[in-house]
Amino acid sequence: MKKRWLSAILCVSLVTVLAGCGGGSKSAEENGVVTITHYTIDSPDRTFVEKLIPDFEKKHPNIKIKVTKAPYEQFDSKLQSAIAAKNGPDVTSQWGYGGFMEYYNKGMLADLTPYLKDFKASDYNIPENLMDIYKVDGKTYGIPLNSYVSVLLYNKDLFDKAGVAYPPTDYEDKSWTFDKMVENAKKLTVDSKNLAEAQYGLDFGWGERDQRPQYFGADVYSEDTWTNGGKPSQINLDKPNVIDAYKQIYSLIWEKKVSPTPAFSKSVSGQFGDPFLSGKIGMSAVGSWSLASSNNFNFKVGVAAIPQGPNEKVRSVLYVDPLFVLKDSKHPKEALEWIKYLITTEVQEKSIELSGGNPPVNQKAAEKYYASFEGIEPAQIKQVYEGAFKYGFESYNHLMDNYSQINELFINELAGVENGEKKVEDVLPVIQEKLKKLLDRVNK
Amino acid sequence: MAGKIRRRETRSFYAFISPWLIGFIVLTLYPILSSLYYSFTDYDVIHEPVWVGFGNFNELFQDEQFWNSISVTLKYTFVSVPLTLTLSLLLAILINQKVPLQGFFRTAIYFPSMISGVAMSLLFFWVFNPQAGLFNYVLSWFGVEPIAWLLDARYAMTALIIMSFWGMGTGMLIFLAGLQGVPASLLEAAKLDGAGRWRTFWAVTFPMISPVFLFQFIVGIIESFQVFTQAYTVTQGGPSYSTWFYVYNIYINAFKNFRYGYASAMAWLLLIAVMIVTYLIMKTSNKYVYYEGGKN
Amino acid sequence: MEQINLAAPAPVPVKSKRRPLSWNRIIGFILLLLVTVIMLAPLWFMVTTSLKNSKEMLAFPPTLIPQTFAWENFSELFTNTEIKFGQQYMNSLIVGVLAVIGTLLSSSLVAFGFARYHTKVSNLMFMLVLSTLMLPYPAIMIPQFLLFTKMGMHDTLLPLILPNFFGSAYMIFLLRQFFSSIPNELYDAGRMDGCSEFRLFANLTLPLAGPALATCAIFTFIWNWNDLLTPVLYLDSQENFTLPVGLASMMSSKFRLAPWNLLMAASILSSLPIIVLFTVAQRRFVEGIVLTGIK
Repeated sequence: MKKRWLSAILCVSLVTVLAGCGGGSKSAEENGVVTITHYTIDSPDRTFVEKLIPDFEKKHPNIKIKVTKAPYEQFDSKLQSAIAAKNGPDVTSQWGYGGFMEYYNKGMLADLTPYLKDFKASDYNIPENLMDIYKVDGKTYGIPLNSYVSVLLYNKDLFDKAGVAYPPTDYEDKSWTFDKMVENAKKLTVDSKNLAEAQYGLDFGWGERDQRPQYFGADVYSEDTWTNGGKPSQINLDKPNVIDAYKQIYSLIWEKKVSPTPAFSKSVSGQFGDPFLSGKIGMSAVGSWSLASSNNFNFKVGVAAIPQGPNEKVRSVLYVDPLFVLKDSKHPKEALEWIKYLITTEVQEKSIELSGGNPPVNQKAAEKYYASFEGIEPAQIKQVYEGAFKYGFESYNHLMDNYSQINELFINELAGVENGEKKVEDVLPVIQEKLKKLLDRVNK
Repeated sequence: MAGKIRRRETRSFYAFISPWLIGFIVLTLYPILSSLYYSFTDYDVIHEPVWVGFGNFNELFQDEQFWNSISVTLKYTFVSVPLTLTLSLLLAILINQKVPLQGFFRTAIYFPSMISGVAMSLLFFWVFNPQAGLFNYVLSWFGVEPIAWLLDARYAMTALIIMSFWGMGTGMLIFLAGLQGVPASLLEAAKLDGAGRWRTFWAVTFPMISPVFLFQFIVGIIESFQVFTQAYTVTQGGPSYSTWFYVYNIYINAFKNFRYGYASAMAWLLLIAVMIVTYLIMKTSNKYVYYEGGKN
Repeated sequence: MEQINLAAPAPVPVKSKRRPLSWNRIIGFILLLLVTVIMLAPLWFMVTTSLKNSKEMLAFPPTLIPQTFAWENFSELFTNTEIKFGQQYMNSLIVGVLAVIGTLLSSSLVAFGFARYHTKVSNLMFMLVLSTLMLPYPAIMIPQFLLFTKMGMHDTLLPLILPNFFGSAYMIFLLRQFFSSIPNELYDAGRMDGCSEFRLFANLTLPLAGPALATCAIFTFIWNWNDLLTPVLYLDSQENFTLPVGLASMMSSKFRLAPWNLLMAASILSSLPIIVLFTVAQRRFVEGIVLTGIK
């Protein structure tokens, strides 16, 4: 009897092992039904696609959609390991730190051109210039899905309390300048040790740290970066205008004292949270995804134009999120069917509500997006978006190779400046040198 | 006949140890050897590994981040481990003095060790919160200005070391058991010989528990070589790389930067470092075995 | 004399104790009291924070006793579908329990093998077991990760559970020590009765090993319950997370404010099984710490 017990154990462990082994092979093509894997970040504004699947599968009985997820911080690494295990998804986007160029240079993306013969962007109300972002040498590697821009969110309650007029939504309003914004911020700031009383006028989270000087008319990377596949031949962190730009950025915290210190931000919002949500920040220059759940904020939110800064041309960062089909996908055609489904006007409109407010790339659906925020005039959001497109520059992380490592470097090195321990002019040379080494290594 | 029995014995021996043997080959030996192989390659998982000889090691030795991670880890190790151990020994001695409420003290001091590593890290991120945290609040009674602790590169390591004191309970329990194992007859004998407390401790008690102390010390070192939770959970290695622990560096290089070869090289260096420390255990274990044997 | 009197502290008020109160003891007592307060203060802070509402949470100076008891923080952990705390709790329990079963089964078999048979080969192999005691996980995690991933076990609990079915060096070592202390005469007698080797193991040895197995079980559970690095590598989706990853990701969520009161409530709940284990099996528990710590 006891012997049976042992063999039972062995069987169980063997079966578990074998079952595990078997799991690798996908049971895909049964009766001509194809399974497409859609890989996304595990946050509600992304995972909502699950709710669209039944409808899609009804319309395409031969395609099944499976959604796989990973947390934002681990999006890239999980993707990479899935590909390595020959278990990669069919459809995904640049939802992690890295972006298009990194994926492209690694040879991860499928060329969609052959399948796009009958595809007209205008059928989906997608502006041609957005389609161009994901073309290399005339070949299309991605189809835009959502287009986010920089916005200036503001806390109406704090503005009312301080008696400050709301900022404008018109990018052409020449009175709306960076200095004016800082001036407003001063009025909104209560610099206090008591966390319950303290509040700050402005959180300037415009773009990632390496792109931020662009707002002040200074470029961290040489011009050729944007044409050669995201590999800068030169880094400008030693140029006076770049140094000046960083000084301006961090003077908001330490000299003008209108921006929260990282200590304050993390006190109220944790390591990665957005302090604006705490209701203690007057204005916040951020990507428009921060607007997504604004209907749930416990204060009234307004949207304004990013003011005119030293750079006349660039005032907004564009984050056009595309959908890619990965090179290893066995069913690129069916994958494309799914993508096309997601950009139809009807589905894009439906997605706005399901996602809590993702800005559709489909311009017809966009009208509905503008009207989906409580207490904010649709015309205002539209105006902000249109201005942002006009004065926009694509986010660096979509354009640069090996962006996750570069970004990590900026975050860690600049932490000293943000904490007020170090000076901009001492830190930039260190980044310059380290970045050079990094680029030499990865681009060799 | 004898040969038959032996064969049967051999067969059942292998039958019994087969789970371990299979596991050892598949989950330990193979990974060790392949990570040795990877450490000589450039490997990003998507493409095949490319042999680079000692390239990774050469690069490592010039990599500031690598040296920084070693210095961060050693700083933590050599402050936290000896301090925690000494303090936990002192506590064990105090409790062993048969103070009132002995059982309560033992449980209370051990209690924080029951909180999981991640929960502990979260708790201390909150305790060290510059504005609303308990730590700065207590310090403010003494007129100390708020410190940003984990958010400030100058204090982040200190904060992590302070945090490690709350794990003293385990050491305390072990030492307490060791102290209680010291034969009362020996202590009596020392007393009769006219030795004072101090003298009795150093002449009788400490030699009896020193193997335990040494072993704890070495295990503590090996464990702290592998600190990961705090770096991953609360500091992300920052600010300014001030808590960029060795294993965190391996993790980032392998699973974020996709440099599996480079990370494997680091992993192997860690293995070697641990082997050296383990060798020290082996050297001291004779003494220990003697002690155990003497007791029986 | 003194020692005999105090070996079992009687529940008598301190005042009436006759023994001389030496200064050493008084100072010791005061010191211990102080240390205890310091050790427990953060935990008190954890408990009170978990009961504060989001407004009081950020008050300065922090309130030492919550003004309102927001018990709903605890229930929110389970009702908030975004957090998936209940699911993660379940995952941790599944991993913990299966790991215990796996480790006990495999380690006891292997330990018995090593305790019963002494040949050159077996001694050599036992040395191998010992040598893996100190093996740092990071040294093998990369190839192990690639292996499990290639087997399609990514984002499942299997990579956390399966290795336990192949024996744990610590537990093998511990149990072998224990099995070796069982006198050979017992086995000889068993064999006389015609017991097979396996029955010797299952009928004779295991029933005697109850306490040792309990110790093993407790520690295997704790290690697996608290492990962060392995699940971080393997688990992608929130619904597959174990508690440590779940807690860490709650903290680092990019799109939400860190809800400190919820985090503290979650931390308390996640430590509960360990505290329960400690309370119900304190002796085994302490014994285990002493054994694993020393050996």
